[in-house]
Amino acid sequence: MNPINNRATAVQGEEFRAAVANEVAPPQPIPATPRPASRPLPKYVTTPPSPPPPPHLDDYAAIIGAQQVATLRYLAEELRGRHVKMVNSTAVGGGVAEMLNRLVPLLSELEVPTQWDVITGGNDFFEVTKAFHNALHGAPYELTKSARDIFLMYNEQNLHRMKFGEEFVVIHDPQPAALIRAKKDHASKWIWRCHIDLSNPHPDVWQFLRPFIEQYDAAIFSSQSFARQLSIPQYLFYPCIDPLSEKNKELTDSFVQQICDDFGIDRTRPIVTQVSRFDRLKDPVGVVQAYKLAKKYVDCQLVLAGGGATDDPEGAVVLQEVKEAAGDDPDIIILDLPPWCALEINAIQRASTIIIQKSLREGFGLTVTEALWKGKPTIAGAVGGIPNQIVHKLTGVLVHSVEGCAFQIRYLLTHPEFARRIGAAGREHVKENFLMTTNVKRWLLLFRILSGKKPVPLPSETAASV
Amino acid sequence: MSTASLNRHDPVKAFYFNTSEHLLRIGRERANNLAEFLQALQDCPDDSIFQHTFSTLQEHHFIRQGFSNDFAHWSLSACHEPILAEQLASVDVREYTSISGLRQHMVEIVHTFLNEHPRSGDRPAHEPFYFCAADLVVLPTPFVTMTPESFLEALRKVTIHSVHHHFIEARLRLKLMTNDFSEWLKEEAGLEQAAAAIDRIDIYTNTMEGVRQQIAGIVERSLN
Repeated sequence: MNPINNRATAVQGEEFRAAVANEVAPPQPIPATPRPASRPLPKYVTTPPSPPPPPHLDDYAAIIGAQQVATLRYLAEELRGRHVKMVNSTAVGGGVAEMLNRLVPLLSELEVPTQWDVITGGNDFFEVTKAFHNALHGAPYELTKSARDIFLMYNEQNLHRMKFGEEFVVIHDPQPAALIRAKKDHASKWIWRCHIDLSNPHPDVWQFLRPFIEQYDAAIFSSQSFARQLSIPQYLFYPCIDPLSEKNKELTDSFVQQICDDFGIDRTRPIVTQVSRFDRLKDPVGVVQAYKLAKKYVDCQLVLAGGGATDDPEGAVVLQEVKEAAGDDPDIIILDLPPWCALEINAIQRASTIIIQKSLREGFGLTVTEALWKGKPTIAGAVGGIPNQIVHKLTGVLVHSVEGCAFQIRYLLTHPEFARRIGAAGREHVKENFLMTTNVKRWLLLFRILSGKKPVPLPSETAASV
Repeated sequence: MSTASLNRHDPVKAFYFNTSEHLLRIGRERANNLAEFLQALQDCPDDSIFQHTFSTLQEHHFIRQGFSNDFAHWSLSACHEPILAEQLASVDVREYTSISGLRQHMVEIVHTFLNEHPRSGDRPAHEPFYFCAADLVVLPTPFVTMTPESFLEALRKVTIHSVHHHFIEARLRLKLMTNDFSEWLKEEAGLEQAAAAIDRIDIYTNTMEGVRQQIAGIVERSLN
């Protein structure tokens, strides 16, 4: 056991952190213990657990309120029995599959029967679509006739294998985008849900895909800044988290304590955490530098919890860089966790005093959403979809540099009332805009609008409701 | 019965609590600096103005102070123009019974600011402003009340979105400088002072939950 775990825990974490946070004098030095080169993970972490059954709609009432659940049921009433098909390219792994795993059962429970189909393809297809994915994010790429043919051939194969009798067909991301050729008449509504950032796409790849996209009835993007100018209506659906998932559900304090004990995290002292892959775009080395600058003024530990170092060669290099930057500071705890450690991540986030996401480039940044949902004061880079979530100084703080990050760590640790206030507002922001139930509502609204339930004109043109 | 409720009478018409839900549509207009912003502010559809003023208040209903509308927020966070941000933030949407009036005032503020600070117009913003719009769906709720007492009970149960619908958005519908709650309490229940007090609630220094509690407190006191 790490010696720091033997310290008296008579003063509980929150109280202690609040007391520490009020101190402005430099901290007392902590007895240094050389950090082991690589902390062995507890045995239970090395085996993936069985997934829990998906929750039911009523399970969310305790979180969002019974009236919000009633609103979902009302919205679904006029869509009852109308069928939906969701199509993507993978059944497991990745944010889209994770989201569909929750969305599909909830829509079906609302009696909007929803089927989830996954396209098939050979390695050559997925190599092409992976290259398309990178090119749409702006990477250099030479679009060959062969790549186009492979893309179209597998889409054609899937088109013949699948049936499209549903009223609403939702195609996720570019891989199955050419399935739109199955749209025969105007009775069915086809929607393209783009989860990636198209703000700076490779022009050849985008010009190849665009004619397919513009045959859809609507497109959906995750951020205003990810969209393109298109001839079809474009909607904004923020990505979302499930408050009842392993990653986000409430945990007992004893469980949080157990996880902290297992990982050598001292809950009696402030904990600053970044959860993300060991990827340069997440700037973990910058986080270490910011922590070291802040540590001159405030006592704290730094937890860097992530993955990607075992299955990604670059991840291993970045992990090594992080270890070198950390040096022999015993208060820097680096955890290379496998992807199924959702409960452990949840516990670490809940134990944290501050959460950082100092990304240099980001998609939407769901780790920020997770942090905000746990009511944690959050410091994050002002990139990608993060400014949608963090309204500076109101629901978190945005930073642009190592120095800015260091200052905000110091400020939040020494101003606990401000930290508490932005943490509470951040949680409300997620509750209003970034939960799975809000996502269900957006889908129901869109299906109603596309099926001819016209949105009402602006209030100025409607009759009084009383 | 208090003097405030001397004119109280039984309502003839019920109060139907409705709610509205918004779906965000990404618009065509986009501004990379304040000059482009001024142009887009004049050109964008009415439902974009509605989204970035009325609807955004609902999306940020939990913030007590410091958030007024998206235009003010962008002027500060992306353009670093605190004077303009303060001027735009001071625009109270409840002073307008039409989007065109609200738009005109916003345009005047930006136009005047750029005349006084001409170098600010072309300075690139840290982030572009993307104009969005709200597709609005109005829905009924199960709450229909015939007395101020049952009104009070329902008010405490409906969603914040319903409170926003009746208290904030209503004036665009009514074309009056008031709201659905005050209108019903005054016209149907004779609670004129309560109606006037509700009209004076400051939405920019309260969360929407705080607004709900203030309305409930005013109605409760008028009934005692």
